[in-house]
Amino acid sequence: MTKTDGSPAPVLVLAFGNLLLEDDGIGIELLRGVEAAGDDARVEFVDGGTQGIALGAALAGREAVLLLDAVRLGAAPGTVHHLREPLRCAPPRGDSAHGANAGELLATAALLGDLPARVEVLGIEPASTRTGIGLSPQVAAAVPTAVRAATEILAAMLAAASGTTPCR
Amino acid sequence: MATRVVVDPVTRIEGHLRVEAMLDSDNKVHEALSSGTMWRGIEVILKGRDPRDAWAFAERICGVCTTVHALASVRSVENAVGITVPKVAEIVRNIMFLTQMVQDHVIHFYHLHALDWVDVVSALSADPAATATLAQQVSPHWPKSSEGYFRDTAATLKKFVESGQLGLFANAYWGHPAYKLPPEANLMAVAHYLEALKWQKELIKIHTVFGGKNPHPNYLVGGMPCSIDLQSDNAINIERLELVRAKILEARDIVEQLYVPDLLAIASFYKDWAAIGEGLGSYMCYGDVPQNGIGDPAHFRFPRGAILHKNLGEVLPVDPTHGDEILEEVGRSWYRYPEGKAALHPWEGHTEAHYTGPKPPYEHLDENGAYSWLKTPRWKGNPVEVGPLARMLVGYASGRADFKAVVDGALGKLGVPATALFSTLGRTAARGLESQLAVGWLQDEYDRLIEALKGGDNNTADTIRWEPATWPKDCKGFGFTEAPRGALGHWIHIQDGKIANYQCVVPTTWNASPKDAQGRRGAYESALIGTPMADPQKPVEILRTIHSFDPCLACASHVYGPDGRELAVVEIG
Repeated sequence: MTKTDGSPAPVLVLAFGNLLLEDDGIGIELLRGVEAAGDDARVEFVDGGTQGIALGAALAGREAVLLLDAVRLGAAPGTVHHLREPLRCAPPRGDSAHGANAGELLATAALLGDLPARVEVLGIEPASTRTGIGLSPQVAAAVPTAVRAATEILAAMLAAASGTTPCR
Repeated sequence: MATRVVVDPVTRIEGHLRVEAMLDSDNKVHEALSSGTMWRGIEVILKGRDPRDAWAFAERICGVCTTVHALASVRSVENAVGITVPKVAEIVRNIMFLTQMVQDHVIHFYHLHALDWVDVVSALSADPAATATLAQQVSPHWPKSSEGYFRDTAATLKKFVESGQLGLFANAYWGHPAYKLPPEANLMAVAHYLEALKWQKELIKIHTVFGGKNPHPNYLVGGMPCSIDLQSDNAINIERLELVRAKILEARDIVEQLYVPDLLAIASFYKDWAAIGEGLGSYMCYGDVPQNGIGDPAHFRFPRGAILHKNLGEVLPVDPTHGDEILEEVGRSWYRYPEGKAALHPWEGHTEAHYTGPKPPYEHLDENGAYSWLKTPRWKGNPVEVGPLARMLVGYASGRADFKAVVDGALGKLGVPATALFSTLGRTAARGLESQLAVGWLQDEYDRLIEALKGGDNNTADTIRWEPATWPKDCKGFGFTEAPRGALGHWIHIQDGKIANYQCVVPTTWNASPKDAQGRRGAYESALIGTPMADPQKPVEILRTIHSFDPCLACASHVYGPDGRELAVVEIG
């Protein structure tokens, strides 16, 4: 949930995806898994849907950002990808403000001086992104592995983040 | 776990628009095909579901248009089952609607459209002192206009470009002869582009206040799910409303002191575009921002109506629920209708894919056959344009003083006649002028909200008809709004408490539709006819006109020479 005032949590987990396009919704599914695993005041979870630069507010002021997304690299569907330098790879100027374009979002943040020092992507190679609700079997089978991997990355980000862990 | 350095994008595109323009021997467009290449099947997804949940699915159709789809959806259900939302809920919806419109228009102008007119590379050679002088003339009340400010902006831009991150600005034709602004105007526009990017992150906080979260604010059939109480700690209280008020004031400054002055300053260098891109000359809008309930279009701030053939002397009544006013054809689309049906009203709408196009990747579309995944909607048989220009013209032709004031003011400043509105420049200008009206109305709606709350009215939802048992067994509804890019309609058919049919006709379907059975072009196709091109390899002129509609699609433009040879493939942003 996006805060409206005060300083933001140092770590952001931002998911992209369209739940109406089968495996395109991977990021949102992973977000649910990672969110269930962690409860720490220093991390904020945002379901970015298919927004692009409008998510700039979510990025500003963070130390580290983990993006969860479908990642198409030509590998076998269900392959888990971990990208450490997404800005180098994503095509920046978008084709439209109407598709979340991680590259455009990151490049815009860089232009404004809002780009967090650490940005990584954890995603799964999709099988099908046709209209429909629900993940393909290959992708669904990879979700637990991907959630574990994302949780580890998040833990590493939190270990390096400022602020103290609240009492439980 | 594979660790890879990326080659392919982490990207997502809502849909794909392809434009093919055919040029004659003097490089003017003489024929154009507009094709949407992605099939959306929201209707298929919604069949059989609980109508009260439909908005949450509809909100996912498009990343930018979340709130307008949700609004059209809840209104369709309320219309079907006979719910009137309370006054406070209506005002909150109006505030959210106007907020989204203003944010979307400003971002469209600076982030997507300005680079069709502003040469970023030329800005690097501007003189900061001369830029400061220009900026002080253009927006005398905007505080950031010193020589030092523009020197810093130029330095930021230079550093960004030199770092190899040109990316954001890579997809353009810098140095193209169609760019007419002096370097100082280019630098001023780039500086304001950065200001707009910073600001847009702020405005949308209004949605978080009322919708609980952004980018997917919560809606509710029957009203709004938020609780408002000026004094309470557990509701939207005066402190939260103060934040809304502050954001509205910021929006006013951005629109009145940056957007509109920049728009008029840039337009003054491109008056030739007041004679290019006219298009259909016919316009339609459903209207929005109700003052007395959604059932009373006579009291909408955006009036409802249609204009045919540039006749501003007559605004025609529009009834989207009438059996045959709005019909969708599929003769030139990749769909199949039941035997014997050529056109269907959305309530009877049918979405059955039937692809007959070439196998992708293909070189060009079949202009004599079906060539789009978009259907062809027509109003009383007419192709019509929807969007800011349609809304401004309907308001203007309806004789509304507020519309006349902003339109006549802009025409006077530019020294052009009212006929200049029927153009690419007119379409782009209408978006800015509409934003001017919208920020004023935002303030008005906020004042209405505070007045109602102070009077003790804080009822945000009517839940008497929440249970499907209270609904008619079989009912139909029409929900609508004026999305930033035009008239948006959702038609729902409910049987036994479940969705039996659901059809959306989105603004870009009206504007980007393929030809109809009579061979008449859609709005994009029509607006491109006659466009002169300085260099067909770099079709910035096509981008200007297509972008003037603010397409809700990504698109690729393919330009063909007289021999049918492909000259350029361009991604349109």
